[in-house]
Parts: sequence; structure tokens; C-alpha cells
Amino acid sequence: MILRIFSFCAGGFLVLTLLLAGKPLVSGPAPSLQLSLTHLMGQQPLVRKTVTYTNASGEEFTISRFRYFLSNFSLESVDGHVVTLPPAYYLVDDAIDSTKNIRLTPVPAGKYKSIRFLVGVDSIHNVSGVQSGALAVESGMFWTWNSGYIMAQIEGHSPVINTPLQEFIFHCGGYKEKDQVLKYVTLPFSQPITIGEKQPPHIQLSADVEKWFLPDTVSFKKIAVIMAPGVKARQVAGNYQHMFNITGITE
Amino acid sequence: MKHKAAYIIGAFCLLLLLVHAGTKKHVPKGPEPFFLQLPAHFPRPVYDFTRNPLTKPGVALGRFMFYDFRLSQDSTVSCGFCHQQFAAFGHFDHALAHGVAGQQGTRSVPVLFNMIWQKAFMWDGGVNHLELQPLTPLTDHNEMAVDLKELLQKMQADPKYRAMYKAAFGSTEITSERMFKAFTQFIATMVSAGSKYDSVMQKVPGVVFTAEESAGYQVFQEKCAACHKEPLFTDLTYRSNGLPYLPALNDVGRMKITGSTDDNLRFKVPSLRNILKSSPYMHDGRFFDIYQVFDFYDHGVQVTPTTDPLVKSGIKLSAQEKRQLYFFLNTLTDYSFLNNAGLSEVRIE
Repeated sequence: MILRIFSFCAGGFLVLTLLLAGKPLVSGPAPSLQLSLTHLMGQQPLVRKTVTYTNASGEEFTISRFRYFLSNFSLESVDGHVVTLPPAYYLVDDAIDSTKNIRLTPVPAGKYKSIRFLVGVDSIHNVSGVQSGALAVESGMFWTWNSGYIMAQIEGHSPVINTPLQEFIFHCGGYKEKDQVLKYVTLPFSQPITIGEKQPPHIQLSADVEKWFLPDTVSFKKIAVIMAPGVKARQVAGNYQHMFNITGITE
Repeated sequence: MKHKAAYIIGAFCLLLLLVHAGTKKHVPKGPEPFFLQLPAHFPRPVYDFTRNPLTKPGVALGRFMFYDFRLSQDSTVSCGFCHQQFAAFGHFDHALAHGVAGQQGTRSVPVLFNMIWQKAFMWDGGVNHLELQPLTPLTDHNEMAVDLKELLQKMQADPKYRAMYKAAFGSTEITSERMFKAFTQFIATMVSAGSKYDSVMQKVPGVVFTAEESAGYQVFQEKCAACHKEPLFTDLTYRSNGLPYLPALNDVGRMKITGSTDDNLRFKVPSLRNILKSSPYMHDGRFFDIYQVFDFYDHGVQVTPTTDPLVKSGIKLSAQEKRQLYFFLNTLTDYSFLNNAGLSEVRIE
């Protein structure tokens, strides 16, 4: 009897072991979701360096650099479940077109009604030492004297600034409670999207730089340099959290 | 029946073993591990080695980079240029740090040892992780002033570096993550816990304090140990010790990091280990002799709203106590560390 029970258990265990030891079964590509980003200044596509814009304070300026991190993506299904996607970090740079296309994968098959993401890098990855990929520090998106990622940045020039280069530098960061600028953005879909075996859905997003200066009006005369966590970074981050919009969905 | 059972169980075990051996075959052989002897009388290290296990080629790569002057913008200064082993990896005779093109910073070069027990780095604790610490001196314009992307390309083009990265990490790919991990591996091996004081504490036969050292230890315990806590000889906190503010340097200390006025003029409590080998003293290197430090605590403290209560009325030290303290501090010099052949400068060719 003991032997029979043992043989039974052993047999089952053996089959399981052999199965686990083998290579995983080959299947089709994992379901995914495609995002593409367009950068705007108001209604028009953003043009760096050559086009002069006017901010809400009536000050003329140009933009020379526009970069930000996106991470911590999640989707909300039509029945209200939040599906957290695998950890992934993206550094979007207006100067590098390839960074404006993001493929989220794998995404569990299902019907979803909204997408949520963090503009920046979560606090854990600000305190966990050296990172790789988009988070590698040679991007210049990591402060060296006061550790922490720059979550989003714009740089440019304005004639109202009284420094020799007339340059403004907005490097917004801060992960510690008092000065954190960790802005989560939730964008609902106009109608639910389906992720399954078909072609992955494609979501077109826009990021509007004009939103950096409103609703809490920013004037270059008052703020030209943000290079540390604090009140100014919080003010600007409070503005730019509203810069994203969904402009189209292709299924 | 009994035999049959034994045979079946035996055959089953053999099968399990075969399956196990079959799966093991694909695991590649990693680099040789580096065994770091941790002092028994120290707490557990803060640094998480599971992220970055020490290996012999990893430590060797970190050491090579530490002494490679080509890591600076104009190939003039290495890490080891300012962090000298004989000065406990501080900068002998230099009040303020200096770097490429004659640039000078605003603080003295911190000593490097027992870094794996520290939670934050720099005089103000602005750097929050050991692995990222080298980023600051490498890129700062007053120090090595290098562009990281250019540096990684430069290393990638160098056959010796490619070979060293392959030995340490399994492939010739040179990334900033690998570079900082290798630096960390070398820095982690800078452990100083072999002074006379340590031998006395660990009751090594035949090692005892002299009468003056012993008296100095008592003075230390009474007047210094609250901040310079054993066995690291720092409690790793940030305090304002009443050192008069210098307008020329305008260094507000930890307030720059936290933005809180309560942190004005606070700096990290430095370790007293190897202190007699690592002058000058204070965050701006203003004292070149340990007796100047004694005199400062005795009658030089300038009280501000953030001055630490422990030093507000100064720390009275008689001439005899100063002498005794000197003899005790002398027992904190760790010659096995200062002469550790595994940490010494390597020839860069």
C-alpha cells in the first residue's frame, strides 16, 4: 500500500519535474499595446529652436530641449479591474523620434477603458542604486549632487531673462515626500479597446508643452532655473501633469 | 516486496538526479568570487551585496578604474589622485578638493573606508546610494569633469577594458551600470577594522592600551563618543558642530539637500578612524593639526540656531586630556589598511 501511494506521488512528481525542466512551449507574440507620442505647442506641432512662442505671461521664448520619463503603466478593464503592466521605463526625447513610440508588452487579453502612467520615475528607483536601460545615468536625467531622477525637463531661451545666455532650464524632480513631483496621469479611452490575438491597438497621445506654463502661471522673469526639488519644481509639475491627451485610437 | 520498494525508490532518485544534472548543464561558470572578511565587532553592512556580488575580476576592474587618470576629461586626475591610500584615501595636505584644469571645489576630500556601512554619501549626505557615489566626482566640473557617454565610448574602444569587463561581467559590453558596480566592488573592499583599538576590543592576546591611551579612551567616551560612535566612530548623522561659517565658501551644508533651515550648517559626522593620517580636518579642511581641532572644541565653537546641543557650550579639554586623546586617536590608525596591497595603486598603461 505504502509503495503504491509512493509510486503514485512519485509518478506525478516525475511528470511535473520533466515538464518544468523542459523548454516552454512556443506560442505566438504576446498581446501588446502600441503608444505613439506627438509633441505640441498649443494646437501646432512643437518645433524646437527655430519657432518663437509666447507664454501665458506674454513672454516670447523658444524651446531647445523637451524630455520626460514615462513608467508604471496600468490599464483599467471595463469591469473595473486595474491591471498593472510589467515594470518598464521610457525616456521620451523630442529630439529622438524612436523614443516617441512605445510598445507595452505583455498586456493580458481583455477589454480596457483607461490607461494610467507615471510621468517620471517612482521613488524606489530613485534610491536603489545604479540602473540600466532608459534609467542609465549618462542620459543626464539624474542629479549628481542631490541624488534623484529629473522626471521631466524643458530648456529654451527667452529675451526677458537677464542672464548672458538668456536661457531657462526647468529640470523638475523630487521623490521625497515633502518635494515629490510624482504625477500620475489617467486617460480614459473614448470607447473600450480590446487586446487579444488581433493586431495590437495603437493609441496616439499628444504632449502639449504649452501646459507647462498654466494653470499656475509661470513667468520666465520669476522662474528661469529649476535644478533642484522644491517649490518651483512642484509648481511646474502641477502644470505639466495636464499636458497629455489621447488624440486617436486605431484598433 | 521490501526489496522491490527499495529498487523503485532507488531508480526514482537516480532519475531525479539525472533531471537535475540535465538542467544544471546550461548554467555558465561565473567569475571567481571575492571573499570579503567582515569584522566581527561591526554591525551588518548597509550595502546590499545580492545586487552586486563581489568577484575577483570585478574588484580588479574597479581598482584599475580607480587609478586610471584617463577617466578625467583631460587625462590628468584619477580617483586615486585625490583619494590617497597613505592618507586613508583622503587628500594629504589639501584643504579643498581640486580637479582638472586647476579647478577647486568648496569641500575637503572625504576619506574612503567602511563605505558599505554608510547610508548616504558626501559631507551633506546628498548622494543616496554607494553605487552612484562615483558619478559626482566623475562628472563635476571642479573634479574629473568627464562626459559619461564619451567615457563609456572611450572604454569600449580600449581592448584592455573590453577584456576586463568580459572577465567581470561575462561580455565586453561596457555600460554605466557595469562601470558603477565595478567601482562599488573595489570601494567595498576598503574595510578598516584592524587598528590597535580593534585588537584591544577583540581581546587579542598581548595587546593592551598604554596608561595614556587608556586615559584617552576614557576622555573619548566621556566627551566625543556621543557623535563619534563606536565601532564606526561616527553615528552617520548630520550635525552642526559650531564651526564658524566662512562667507567666502558660503557652504550651508545639508540645508542644500533638504531645503530645511533646520539643516543649515549641518555636515556628516566624520569617522575618527585613521584620523591622525587624514589631516586636514573639517568639511573645508581648515585645520591641519589635530590639536587645532581640540582647541576649536575647547574654546572656538560659534553658536548658531542649528548648533548641536552637545557642543553648544564647547567641550572643555585640559592640556593633559588633549595629550591623552591624541594617544587614544593614535590607536585608531589602521596600518593593515593603509598598507593593504590589495588597495594600492596599479600601473596604468
